[in-house]
Amino acid sequence: MPGERRLRILSRLVAIEGSEPDTARLCQLCADVTEMSGAGIMLMSGDVPRGSVCTTNDVSALIEQLQYDLGEGPCVDAYNEDRPVLEPDLAHPHALRWLAFAQPAIAAGVRAVFGFPLQVGSVRLGALNLYRDRTGALSDEQHADALAVADVVAQAVLVLQANAPEGQLAAELEATGNFQYVVHQASGMIAAQLDVTLAQAMIRLRAHAFGNGRPLVEVAGDVVGRRLRLGAGPDWDVDT
Amino acid sequence: MPREAMLAQTLVQLADTLVADFDVVELLTLLADRCVEVLDVGAAGLMLVAPEGDLRVMASSSDAMHVLELFEIQAQEGPCLDAFRSGQPVVNQNLASTNGRWPQFAPEALAAGFRSVHALPMRLRGTVIGALNLFHIEAGEMRAADVEAAQAFADVATIAILQHRASTEAQVLNDQLNHALNSRIVIEQAKGMVAERADLSMEDAFAALRNHARRNNLRLADVANDVIGGRLSAATLLAPPSPRS
Repeated sequence: MPGERRLRILSRLVAIEGSEPDTARLCQLCADVTEMSGAGIMLMSGDVPRGSVCTTNDVSALIEQLQYDLGEGPCVDAYNEDRPVLEPDLAHPHALRWLAFAQPAIAAGVRAVFGFPLQVGSVRLGALNLYRDRTGALSDEQHADALAVADVVAQAVLVLQANAPEGQLAAELEATGNFQYVVHQASGMIAAQLDVTLAQAMIRLRAHAFGNGRPLVEVAGDVVGRRLRLGAGPDWDVDT
Repeated sequence: MPREAMLAQTLVQLADTLVADFDVVELLTLLADRCVEVLDVGAAGLMLVAPEGDLRVMASSSDAMHVLELFEIQAQEGPCLDAFRSGQPVVNQNLASTNGRWPQFAPEALAAGFRSVHALPMRLRGTVIGALNLFHIEAGEMRAADVEAAQAFADVATIAILQHRASTEAQVLNDQLNHALNSRIVIEQAKGMVAERADLSMEDAFAALRNHARRNNLRLADVANDVIGGRLSAATLLAPPSPRS
């Protein structure tokens, strides 16, 4: 029964000992309940990734970062299509998808990846991603657990935010979250440098990262650290 | 159409309205109208508890003043209030012989042309959120099957309303979450702009934004918005505060 499954998951959440922030425990619970290698909770709105609430390890963090940078992947699809997105064999998918996402994810050790929408009623918050270091579909039991845990996560995120001061992100969400602030700082700098809009600045930043095969957050760090300046013409490194 | 078919069709129609965004009053009005058709009653209405704790009429099969007044009066007394308070159905009440149970309501209902009245609680587990009210023009008992059907309607309406409330609450919280994220992003973008224009570190750029906000009693997010919107220059932001007379 769905109610029992949910209760079992909630009792496991309460039982996790330690002084970790709530969101870190939440993420770990997602991976544990579904017996996956890792899990991540991603917030989205307006069809684009907004940031990560938590990830269980570096690979999960990469799965979220790639989707943030590239705008494609299991969370993006799960959110946009409003249904679970299952890829039991990332290296040999049924249909070609995630052309930019797949290769670096596989290189990091991801063999199977799954996205589940986070929603409460008709309200969509983002998506939960689960990955495994070996191929294979989710069992019916794992699939049902993933749906139930996604439900718990969605409720939990809203409850955490409900206690935050007006206009501020809940401290619990900030604690383990990664909202790519440096990317927005870099956009602001580029907009001022090139006298372009913030949207155009973001495109320039993304284009540079993609064109040079570098993570967006790293390129943004160089801009903010004044080691890289995107020019009106070709971009140039400050030190060279 | 046979009665059972009408009943089934109504439940399907009600379930259908729950799928997408729906209007609660519209749903309850549909339900009241269907009660009149399917259960062969003279009038039907639904009352819901307001946040203040009193019952308010939410939908009625009739817009006639004398019918609406019959609902409104039940904020003080009547079968709806009894069903709401007890969580139990109040059925087959002969209005001519209520023995002073509802001194205001009963005479008005009789004057409006009704002979018997019923109220089914709208409840889910421990929560009672209102009542479905049915008025018969003739005296006499409602068939057990009709009472069951009426309760089924009330149950569907209850689930719909509770789901709608939960969904609305979630929408508000999610909007707050996105608003908080957006505010933060705008602040980071403004930091970048100020840092670039005034050749400051991110920390100093943030301090400049925050100080300006404090000096002028503005919200940080609004100051940041003015910066990225070009309405507030870095020079103004960093200018020493002018002494006020």
